[in-house]
Amino acid sequence: MPPDNPLPVKHKRRQKIKFTWVSLRKGIQLVSLALFLFLFIASRDSGLPGDLLNFFLRLDPLAIFAKFLSSKTFLVGSSLAILTVILTITVGRAWCGWICPLGTTLDILTPGRKKFDETKAPRPSWRTVKYGILLTTLVAALFGNLTLLILDPLTILLRTLTVSVLPAIDHLTSSAERGLSNFEFLQDPVSSFDSLIRPAILPNLPIYYRDAILFTVVFIIVAALNWIAPRFWCRYLCPLGALLGLISKISIFRRAVGEDCKDCKICSTRCPTGTIDAEKGYASDPSECTLCLDCLEQCPRSSIKLAPGFKPAAWQKYDPGRRQVLASIAAAFVGIALFKSDVTAFRDTNFLIRPPGARENDLLTKCIRCGECVRSCPFGALQPARLESGLEGMWSPLVVARIGPCDYGCNACGQVCPVQAIPPLSLDEKRQKVIGRAYIDQNRCIAWADHKDCIVCEEMCPIPEKAVVLTKTDIVDSDGTTVTIQLPSVQRERCIGCGICEYKCPVNGEAAIRVYVPEKKSGFFS
Amino acid sequence: MLRLAAGAGALTVQQLLAACSPRPTSTPLPSLTGIPTEVVHPTSTVAPTNPTGTSAPVISATEATPTNTPVPQASPTPVNYDLVVVKNGEPEALVRKAIEAMGGMSKFIKPGAKVIIKPNICVDYHTYEYAATTNPWIVGALVKMCKEAGAGSVRVMDQPFGGTAKSAYAKSGIEEQVKANGGEMVIMSGYKYVPAKIPAGKHLKSTVLYDEFLKADAIINVPIAKTHSLARLTLGMKNLMGVIDDRPGMHSDLGQRLADLYTLLRPTLNVIDAVRILTQFGPTGGDLSYVKKLDTVLVSRDIVAADTYAAGFFNVKPDSLDYITAGVAMKIGRSDLNHLMIQEINLAA
Repeated sequence: MPPDNPLPVKHKRRQKIKFTWVSLRKGIQLVSLALFLFLFIASRDSGLPGDLLNFFLRLDPLAIFAKFLSSKTFLVGSSLAILTVILTITVGRAWCGWICPLGTTLDILTPGRKKFDETKAPRPSWRTVKYGILLTTLVAALFGNLTLLILDPLTILLRTLTVSVLPAIDHLTSSAERGLSNFEFLQDPVSSFDSLIRPAILPNLPIYYRDAILFTVVFIIVAALNWIAPRFWCRYLCPLGALLGLISKISIFRRAVGEDCKDCKICSTRCPTGTIDAEKGYASDPSECTLCLDCLEQCPRSSIKLAPGFKPAAWQKYDPGRRQVLASIAAAFVGIALFKSDVTAFRDTNFLIRPPGARENDLLTKCIRCGECVRSCPFGALQPARLESGLEGMWSPLVVARIGPCDYGCNACGQVCPVQAIPPLSLDEKRQKVIGRAYIDQNRCIAWADHKDCIVCEEMCPIPEKAVVLTKTDIVDSDGTTVTIQLPSVQRERCIGCGICEYKCPVNGEAAIRVYVPEKKSGFFS
Repeated sequence: MLRLAAGAGALTVQQLLAACSPRPTSTPLPSLTGIPTEVVHPTSTVAPTNPTGTSAPVISATEATPTNTPVPQASPTPVNYDLVVVKNGEPEALVRKAIEAMGGMSKFIKPGAKVIIKPNICVDYHTYEYAATTNPWIVGALVKMCKEAGAGSVRVMDQPFGGTAKSAYAKSGIEEQVKANGGEMVIMSGYKYVPAKIPAGKHLKSTVLYDEFLKADAIINVPIAKTHSLARLTLGMKNLMGVIDDRPGMHSDLGQRLADLYTLLRPTLNVIDAVRILTQFGPTGGDLSYVKKLDTVLVSRDIVAADTYAAGFFNVKPDSLDYITAGVAMKIGRSDLNHLMIQEINLAA
């Protein structure tokens, strides 16, 4: 642009760049979401330290506090969560409005918030639901159950990204790459593009997850609730929001409306959490305000301020009362009792294979269901559990060797676990950990049943002296001819249950060699 | 411990056996200046006594001395060796000397050529000392030589079965050497696996493989010599399996299928790394007691001849290896070592 002829456009632009609190908030939201996504991507095979990768989860006071109640242990690294508590005591639920990656995602996915009519939102009394979820989570945690942490916002986002979003993007990308490669002139650019994104962002070979559709549906529900009201999840359901909301009752800096308010209703109709009440002098509940500061900016008279105050905020009708605490305790008891009495809680399954070093009961009282280990596992050996450990263990990490082997050269899961539910083992220690043992199904094994050489399980076995051994045997076939076959068998005392044999077994469908929990849980895991 | 005694008396000079060379060349080669004079016929290679008393590698193919040894004839032109074996030196020196004896890298790699080097990087479990993955300095030296010959690109790749490519490349030490020598370490991406017909194949008539191998101007096959329960030994032909998708599916009738696969790929050079060989519990290994240090590199254009010779390192009869008999039957190479032009060089001599 010539300097001697400034165009009016330039002035306009300058005005847009003007600093506002809202643009700062949006910037921090995006940075936070970008950091979360970066750490998510880097969680697999990046070589970054686990303590950095699980940074966000250790900032989550709900997960950390519930795990503390449940396991009665506290890790030094978990004290990061205290930062979030301090932030909340200072300015209220700024975590929700400024940092929470799920909150930001929901903001992005909110359709036309400015047109939203707050009178159509569910009644404020529904806000109590999130306190119910929170209290039930905490009471259950006190009795060693962390199942409800599947509703923590960070775990929801991380699980969905791991199981549903990234594999789907990977699949679409591969298909596009394959399709475009059919054009000779596109092959080089596609190849360059591919080496940029793989393995840095997407895996070079596809990784599969069970129940990807289920996790997508859960996420879509959380996002779709935005159509009922902006940040529906944060207002009515989020247990982390509820915990921060309770802390916010004593927050220092709060929204205050000045004397010169002329009742224009702009703030109360546009508040994304709907907490500004026109009938109470446009006051808001610090437990509901996410400090988005939209009202500060939109107020035509600039009469809204953040002012310090030391008196606890008023208790609202929807805030938890005695009755609700009792109901939550009851719900937790009934839930735990049902979980424990359901037949699945008997854990009488052969396939309850846990990550290396994790002991069943210890895992269940520590696992915050974040899915960071699932993400870090380079072959998708770790999958969110279904009912293998009962309803109680739902979406905790489970090794499913037919989907992916537990790599002998990898100890990532223990490194990234933010709460040491999977112990942080060195590679040498991890190689000694027995997670299960392999058994051969001689009725389906190519060598045993079909009398053909196969040996894949032995070849793949990573144990130096091989846990699968081959024995040359003369077998008389049905037609009378004698064939010499190398028959595989498992030297059980050597097998660590990594499952690469099960993964690579060329038999169609269920493998002819499978990793099982060989003994009853108590004997095996103790 | 199995280092061949320097200057073993067995390494006597013999006349060149141009008459029995299976592939007489019409193109004159650069002079052989710099190549040691000890050109030996394998029949004259007698395993030297080993100070530790353990058995030295025996080239079993040479156990039967040919009854009809051709009359040696002096050749005025340099010879195209079918196979060069270099012993007793640092890995880079071994492979350099071997390629030099084969006529230099520029004989095989044209300026601007797209070269793929295919080492064996099967797992990310152990470092190179455990002899599960190809010696990094050999791969690095090959990259350097290709670059010196003016190759347009030198790409190195393998698809590990244990661990991700990224971690296996790093653990093996190969990535470091390849990058230091100006090559590219390529992670094989799922979308580039394409179906391909194998017109010459007997049993394996089609497969799905990594298409870059089909597009390359030259493939250099760099296996490490290891044991394997089905193939008995994994050498040059078995190493080619790393480029295809359905590897467990190859396991029935492996020998013939490997020979079939070869007809599609036809590596320009086969370099067998026998600096450290894995003598048991291959292909993964994991204990140094399974590793034998031979400090040997073997180079041949003939994959069957290379595998035949390398079988001797393990005292395995070559005709007991299915892929060698299949390869001979399909005429992709020769296993009659005593009729091939073989040069053995001892760098310590």
